[in-house]
Amino acid sequence: MDTQEVIRKQVTDNPVVLYMKGTPDAPMCGFSAAAVQILEACGADNVATVNVLADNDIRQGIKEFSQWPTIPQLYVNGEFIGGADIMREMYQSGELHKLFQK
Amino acid sequence: MLTPETVKSYIKESLACDHVEVVGDGQHFEAVIVSPEFRDKNRVQQHQIVYRALGDRMREEIHALSMRTLTPEQWAEQ
Repeated sequence: MDTQEVIRKQVTDNPVVLYMKGTPDAPMCGFSAAAVQILEACGADNVATVNVLADNDIRQGIKEFSQWPTIPQLYVNGEFIGGADIMREMYQSGELHKLFQK
Repeated sequence: MLTPETVKSYIKESLACDHVEVVGDGQHFEAVIVSPEFRDKNRVQQHQIVYRALGDRMREEIHALSMRTLTPEQWAEQ
């Protein structure tokens, strides 16, 4: 399976996927740390996280996948939602909470 | 070291903007960008327009860029 297929499978097999630098307990970048905090504040559970620092193919491939050059990247139900700035804006406007309402 | 002024000029030379503000410390930059190109685009598409305008510079020179993208109409309401 090539990297693009691996990513497609990750974002479709899991309802919420965050590609980040580091892990939720030990984020390696301020933007990734902020993304984790925002998801927690929204009450998002079952968040699958992918540490791009542990896999260089994914780290490069995810940028191609979304035509988006930066990490973190949030996917909900297979759809690319945005990076750290967009997550923050959507959190502040209440839009992000709605994505996680059951 | 990359200055906010340089980042601002990169954005302005490749994207038709009504207004650009950039602040930063050489590593992390924050930009407010107002462009008519953002009309009828969602936020992801708006940021993609800026990333495309910056091209390779986004990969090679700019470590981190936070941005707020606004249409001229949204900017006028601020």
